[in-house]
Amino acid sequence: MIIFNQHFEMQRDYYLNLAKEHKRMIFGVDLILKEKKNHNEIVLNGDKLGEVVIEATKRFNMQMALPWMDLDVEKQELLELLGLDLAALDGFHFDETNISEETRALIKKSGHSSLSKRLEANCQSIRYVKENSNYLPVGMCIGPFSFITKLLRDPIFPVFLYSMGVTGTEDPSVCTLELAFEAATEVILKSIRRQIEAGAKAICVCEPAANNVYISPDILVEDGEDVFDKLVLKYNYRITELLGKNDVDLILHDCGELTDLMVKKLCKLHPVILSLGSSRNLWKDARIIPGDIVLFGNLPTKQFLMDDEMTNEKVVELTNELEAKMKKSGHPFILGSECDVLSVEGYQSKIMEKVNLMLTCKCHDHL
Amino acid sequence: MNIIEQITYCIEFGKIDKNSPFPPDMRGQDGAHELVKKALEEAHTPDEILNDGMIVAMEKVGKKFSEKRIFIPQMLMSAKAMNKAMEHIKPYFNDGSVQQKGTFVIGTVSGDLHDIGKNLVAMMVEGNGWNVIDLGVDVSHEKFIEKLNKYPDCVIGLSALLTTTMVNMEKIVKEIKAVSPKTKVLVGGAPVNKDFCNKIGADSYSPDPQGVVHYLSSLAS
Repeated sequence: MIIFNQHFEMQRDYYLNLAKEHKRMIFGVDLILKEKKNHNEIVLNGDKLGEVVIEATKRFNMQMALPWMDLDVEKQELLELLGLDLAALDGFHFDETNISEETRALIKKSGHSSLSKRLEANCQSIRYVKENSNYLPVGMCIGPFSFITKLLRDPIFPVFLYSMGVTGTEDPSVCTLELAFEAATEVILKSIRRQIEAGAKAICVCEPAANNVYISPDILVEDGEDVFDKLVLKYNYRITELLGKNDVDLILHDCGELTDLMVKKLCKLHPVILSLGSSRNLWKDARIIPGDIVLFGNLPTKQFLMDDEMTNEKVVELTNELEAKMKKSGHPFILGSECDVLSVEGYQSKIMEKVNLMLTCKCHDHL
Repeated sequence: MNIIEQITYCIEFGKIDKNSPFPPDMRGQDGAHELVKKALEEAHTPDEILNDGMIVAMEKVGKKFSEKRIFIPQMLMSAKAMNKAMEHIKPYFNDGSVQQKGTFVIGTVSGDLHDIGKNLVAMMVEGNGWNVIDLGVDVSHEKFIEKLNKYPDCVIGLSALLTTTMVNMEKIVKEIKAVSPKTKVLVGGAPVNKDFCNKIGADSYSPDPQGVVHYLSSLAS
């Protein structure tokens, strides 16, 4: 029996209306955060982090308080749960020796345990935004597939073997992959639950690694289940189930290089907003994406620090082109960055200038 | 197929060893590991195995990748098979019976921990007969220069995946060129392009591993 969640579907209208109003947005908290000398302390203080999120939302004239994109939070959470030093963050990986039944049981039972400092700060910043502004508080987490690429030393190998039908009993790396996915998803669900409790009305799930580097596109199938369904969608459905139960919306971000089929498969998660990277042509994507999913993106903001290739004039040209072509497509669209716009030492003012141009320039034949 | 052709086939299609379950239609068969060992036992020279078997395979793989007939996962399987085969050949580099084309020092630049592209390039270049020194990730200019001092004729490859770290390439290139202006420096990684390469004074940019192999081949010839 399909239960139509009228309230849930009405929330989708909020994002469709933002698109109708031709709003523009960026993932820009890093730019504002790095203006502060004590930014390393701020990210551990939820109130101060919340202040920065509000400042970014205000300065970029947005309605949604997009958080600081930090895709290490869940790995930090995992390490603290396992009693490991955070200095080991980048070097820690699951393998056959350390993904024991004991470890997995510990992770599974950790749902209500205390939070790591970073995740606690993120949750508190959401509370702060909710209590001190009228902006929509948005949470964020890394997606299960992308998390796995941080948790395995050589993720492409077992993912590929898995996609070729190799089972966990035939290859230990595939066994580790499957066990790691379960553990990773539990940590992510905990992160999401706590952010929802803090007041998040939408969660941005970031799956930048669900792309054609990690998943060979020539083995994907339009009909039937393939590795994308089994390793990307399957674990993300657990997230959408949790979000659905709590009337919280899914924003899905994948800035990796994708094929049309990968984009179509991502749409099965039915996010309110689908954020794509600059490798995609959004007005062509509009033809393959359901009309109630708002497309977001995808100015090549990673190139904003390169003046030779990305002049101010080019930024305006690309913004105008994207807006005009998306208007012609008729698909709901919010213009924005292809990903998090990072502050780069020595290039801050250059990047900010281009960001402001992108957010404020007028489309010539429209509006 | 003779044994050299079998080695080429195994590497081309990613059959690492007998225990490897990939490719599915080659389960239980000897892989690159067993066949190279056997070829040496049958008195094939290491040079013949490397040049007529292994490098031929990697050239096919590189071509297929450039033509988008295979993708990174398949390339990685071939590189792993090549790596396994190379374990039997490496001892012969030291005694001079196999000539390597040169030394290639590669690393992901300071502040950056991404290594997929760097690892693939390292494997492809090694598979094409170069001595590869992989410095890993988060590599400072001091470490590159340390290797340059040890291998004065080496070519250096820099990788970066983030806009925040690609800017570190400029400093590293400057430091290398200050020590040895003639040393060739290649750059690569998702945010990098030809214009950036030219701007920072690097010698070559490649968007994929095969481009690196071609450039190095042009230097070696």
